[in-house]
Order: sequence, then structure tokens, then C-alpha cells
Amino acid sequence: MTDQTQRTTHFGFSEVPEDEKAGRVRGVFTSVASRYDLMNDVMSGGVHRLWKDAMMDWLAPRPGQRLLDVAGGTGDIAFRFLGRAGHGHATVCDLTEDMLIAGRTRAEAEKMEGSLDWVVGDAMALPFEDASFDVYTISFGIRNVTRPEEALREAFRVLKPGGRLMVLEFSQLPNPMMQKAYDLYSFNVIPRMGQAIAGDRDSYQYLVESIRRFPDQETFLQMIRAAGFDNARYRNLSMGIAALHSGWKL
Amino acid sequence: MTEQKTETAPQAQPFERHMLEALVCPQSQGPLSYDAERQELVSRAAGLAYPIRSGIPVMLVDEARQIED
Repeated sequence: MTDQTQRTTHFGFSEVPEDEKAGRVRGVFTSVASRYDLMNDVMSGGVHRLWKDAMMDWLAPRPGQRLLDVAGGTGDIAFRFLGRAGHGHATVCDLTEDMLIAGRTRAEAEKMEGSLDWVVGDAMALPFEDASFDVYTISFGIRNVTRPEEALREAFRVLKPGGRLMVLEFSQLPNPMMQKAYDLYSFNVIPRMGQAIAGDRDSYQYLVESIRRFPDQETFLQMIRAAGFDNARYRNLSMGIAALHSGWKL
Repeated sequence: MTEQKTETAPQAQPFERHMLEALVCPQSQGPLSYDAERQELVSRAAGLAYPIRSGIPVMLVDEARQIED
């Protein structure tokens, strides 16, 4: 652990000491928390809703399942999961307290607080026992984790045998021309929208850079297999702007 | 790290005790005990006390208080 201080990781396109990344990511999300759901809508033109629907279609939640949603923020995935499952339980784990508090307020408003727990925790060191969940989801969160491999190992640990991992994340377009057009859009438009809507250009600049830095579909699939998951596969969404990765703990 | 948390944040949201069953110390993966007075979850194995803020347990080693006994 002594070389920890010398090791650096990427924070968007900047290199930062590894032990600073979590704090910085938390800073980004604390600064965008209150308008995060709104920004997601605007940034993706509402498309993130379709992607999350696609996630639920593939996941096919069943009654009584226990979900752990990591980087779950305001609980968007957890609410969808519970809605589809009919009844079940969801634990939302996130680095940012403000996001969880916003989510809990929504749960109270919808009289769902009994089905949801809210925990501040780190994806690389989850505060949960081995084999305690049926489903692990992480939606637009894993690229913000300092060492995604460790998050995947933790996901494997806390899932029950027969449990399922599902990851929704921005990904890479397979066509270089389209990737170029998409980069132009995301680097020029999204930080400005972040400024206009959330009054916070830098955080959205980080979001865009971190998307570009995240491994492509095949590389990430290999990471999931390396963490121990079987039957790992992915599906592209919107031609690869985002991707869903699925794996099973068998 | 030894400073005492004296301010009692608006504890309108109580900690849900049932959560204790599901949670372990992220460092030692050992069990936790609930200190209602200090609003902390205590890991004896790791010598750490994790704060509960507005009813939400903050299970980060960086945010935990070191305890000596």
C-alpha cells in the first residue's frame, strides 16, 4: 500500500494521484446533485430513459429479488427495478450523500421507503456481506470508479450464487466517423449545457472526458470475465453511445 | 481524528436498525454495532466508527473516526 501515493489515475483527461480520485468524483457529483436527473434528461435528449428501459428489459426483475444498485445516486434504477419486480428490496449505495438524500425524499413521496435502503459506500470496498444480493447494477457509475476491476470483484463477492451483474455505461461507437461526430458534439455542447443548466461547466467537462477514457465494449467484457463472471455478454445501445454488459455469478 | 462530534445534526431521519443486519465494515468485513447516542456504526475489528448522517450510514474508511480501547 506504500506505492499508493505515487500511483496516478485519470480524472477525465487529467492525471491525479489515485487516492484523490474518489474525493474529486464526489466533488463533481455533489456539485451537480440537485439537478442531476434533469441534466441527464437534457444531455441525452431523454434517451437515457430508453437505455434504462432496455436495461430493465434485459434484467427482467422478478418479485422478491434483492437489488444492490451501486453509484445509484438518486435511485433512478432502484425505482425502476422495484416497479418492474412488483415487490422486492433495493439498496442504493453511492459516494455522495446529497444524491441519496434526494432519492430518499422521492421514496417517501412515493410511499416506497420500506423497500429501499440508502448507504454511502465505495464500490471498491462495499460494506455488505458476501452473497447477499440477487442483482447488482451500476448505471453510468463504473467509469468513475478509480479501479473498475476492484469494483467488479466486489460485485462478484456480494452477489449470491446465481446472481446477476448488469452494467450500463457510455461506450465507444464502432464506426470512427460517427465517433468523431459524437466527440465534437459531446466536447463542445455538453459542457456548455452543464454551464447553462447546472451553472457548472467543469463537472460536465469531466463527465465527457471520463466517457471517452472508459474501455470499449470488448475490453470491458474481458474485465467482467476476469472478475469471475460467466456467460458475460454486451448489447450496444444507440449504436454504441452506451452499452449494457451482463454477467452471472454461477 | 479524535475530535468529538458535538453538533447533533437535525436527526429528523432516524437510522433504520434493520440495516445493521445487512452492513459490514468495508475494511474488515466484520460486524458492526450501533451507537445510538453518537450516531455511529462501530467496527471493533477495524477500530473504526462510521458516522450516520441524517439517518444514512457513511461507510467510508476516510470518513470514519479511529477509536482506541
